Amino acid sequence: MIHSMQWAIIKKDLKVISSDKLILSSLFIVPAFLAGILPAIMLLAFTSSSDAMHDMQALINILPGAAQADNISVFMVSYLINFMMPSFFLMIPLLVSMVFAASSFVGEKEKRTLETLLYCPLPLVKIFQAKILASFFLGMAAAVVSFIVMFLVVGIISTITLGTTILPGLSWLVIMLMLTPAIAIIAITLVVRSSAKAQSVEEAQNRSVILIIPLIAILIAQFSGVISLNIWILLGAGVVFAVIAFVLLSGALSKFTYEKLLK
Amino acid sequence: MQAIHIENLSKRYTSGKLALNKAGLSLGEGEVFGFLGPNGAGKTTTIKLLGGTLLPTEGKCEVFGLNPFEKPEEIHRISGLLTEHAQMYNPLSGYENLIFYGRLFDLSASDSKTRAVELLDLLGLNESKDRKLGAYSTGMRQRLSLARTMIHRPRLLFLDEPTSGLDPENALSVNEIIKEQAKENGTTVFLCTHQLRYAQDVCSSFGLIDDGTLFATGTLEKLRELVQEDVSVMIEASQIPDRIQAERIGERTFDVRVKEEEDIAEIVKQIVSDGGKVYQVSTKILTLEEIYFALLKKHQRGELLL
Repeated sequence: MIHSMQWAIIKKDLKVISSDKLILSSLFIVPAFLAGILPAIMLLAFTSSSDAMHDMQALINILPGAAQADNISVFMVSYLINFMMPSFFLMIPLLVSMVFAASSFVGEKEKRTLETLLYCPLPLVKIFQAKILASFFLGMAAAVVSFIVMFLVVGIISTITLGTTILPGLSWLVIMLMLTPAIAIIAITLVVRSSAKAQSVEEAQNRSVILIIPLIAILIAQFSGVISLNIWILLGAGVVFAVIAFVLLSGALSKFTYEKLLK
Repeated sequence: MQAIHIENLSKRYTSGKLALNKAGLSLGEGEVFGFLGPNGAGKTTTIKLLGGTLLPTEGKCEVFGLNPFEKPEEIHRISGLLTEHAQMYNPLSGYENLIFYGRLFDLSASDSKTRAVELLDLLGLNESKDRKLGAYSTGMRQRLSLARTMIHRPRLLFLDEPTSGLDPENALSVNEIIKEQAKENGTTVFLCTHQLRYAQDVCSSFGLIDDGTLFATGTLEKLRELVQEDVSVMIEASQIPDRIQAERIGERTFDVRVKEEEDIAEIVKQIVSDGGKVYQVSTKILTLEEIYFALLKKHQRGELLL
């Protein structure tokens, strides 16, 4: 149950961030590129040139189900969207939550507003819950909007170029309901954990940016054919990430004291 | 009920610095307590301990019967804090800032708005209420901070250098508001300052601290007694009867020592009844500033034992 005092913090955080043009632009550019521009380029490259399909022959050969596909272009685009895009897509909740959380936690310290905020009738844990929720809401909102944009772009381009509308597969249900929230929480928690030590927003972001590495590793593994993200792998990853998120979050919240935070 | 009670309270930071050394103090409700000392003396540390945002190395303290180290948020609910580091949000207007803090202190949305308008009016910030805080001057920020500390009608105000960086006019108006709060609403004020002239005007009792040691507490009169036992009276008269012990310091100016100010009337009566003429009488009473430095010297020489 969210207390009205916690809602006040959430609303304030969103309002303060929305007035920062630099942060707003970085929160907009990454999702716009990953969910709009990138799938559009990939789709157009696949569907407009037979050379692209020829170049991908090696990959097509190792994909399960490719040999049985009626239309190899539709199959490839569908595979691209449902199994390749998730790694790119998951960077959206990760980066948006991270940028927002860094600004929300360390930004308060940097701008000397933390002491005023902590001096309120809410216990420390509840203040932090509110701030984590604000970052989480924004990360999830960015993911949902990006998802809608991405499938509008994919639907329109596939209808025009392939004559068939490609829709999100079942794997996206796991991505949106399990992986996206879990990754957002992990990203926020890592920022929160570093926020007691970090003295500037940039420092907190630098400390947390390491999170992108596992996603890039998955991408490389996929393109090199080492793994293929099917729904079972995604589901397994979702469970693992959710557990990691829960453990990290509980650990981070219990460690804070006023003295450590205001140092 | 006692507003603040401190016993044997010490704080040593991890750096090894002993910021507060076995301090003891009791404050009644409605008092305006001036906590005086130079920068780095331990004033802010004491405030943080009382607000529960620092944990002590030893000793205990209570704020309205509550232990700040067990439930700091309960202390926050009944008190307001103004320190140099307690700033507000630059992208929000003065009005929006106050509404946010009202909501943060569990006021309803409409109560927050009403209270914000009331306080902006009280602090003379009504005209700039919709301006972003980033565009406020230092004086306006400080006044808005004071409004923030009062948004939830606290029983106790912790004010750490509330007039720092203010011009004399703004400082005077802030002091008037502090006095008014104590007088009209019975708010207890714990005021840390090194501006002794303002403190004398605002506070009803004082604590003097240096290098972590609280070396004197009490009302102005009590502190004055620690420095001088009698009152020095300058009398300009044609003559002074021999039975009055006086030191001639001018042609017709005498320095007479009395135990208390009430004795002055008797001396004047005796001069007149002996046929003398009195032209002027003035008492030389030590100001807080003079008392502070005199007591500080005594403390440094080890002559004061609290």
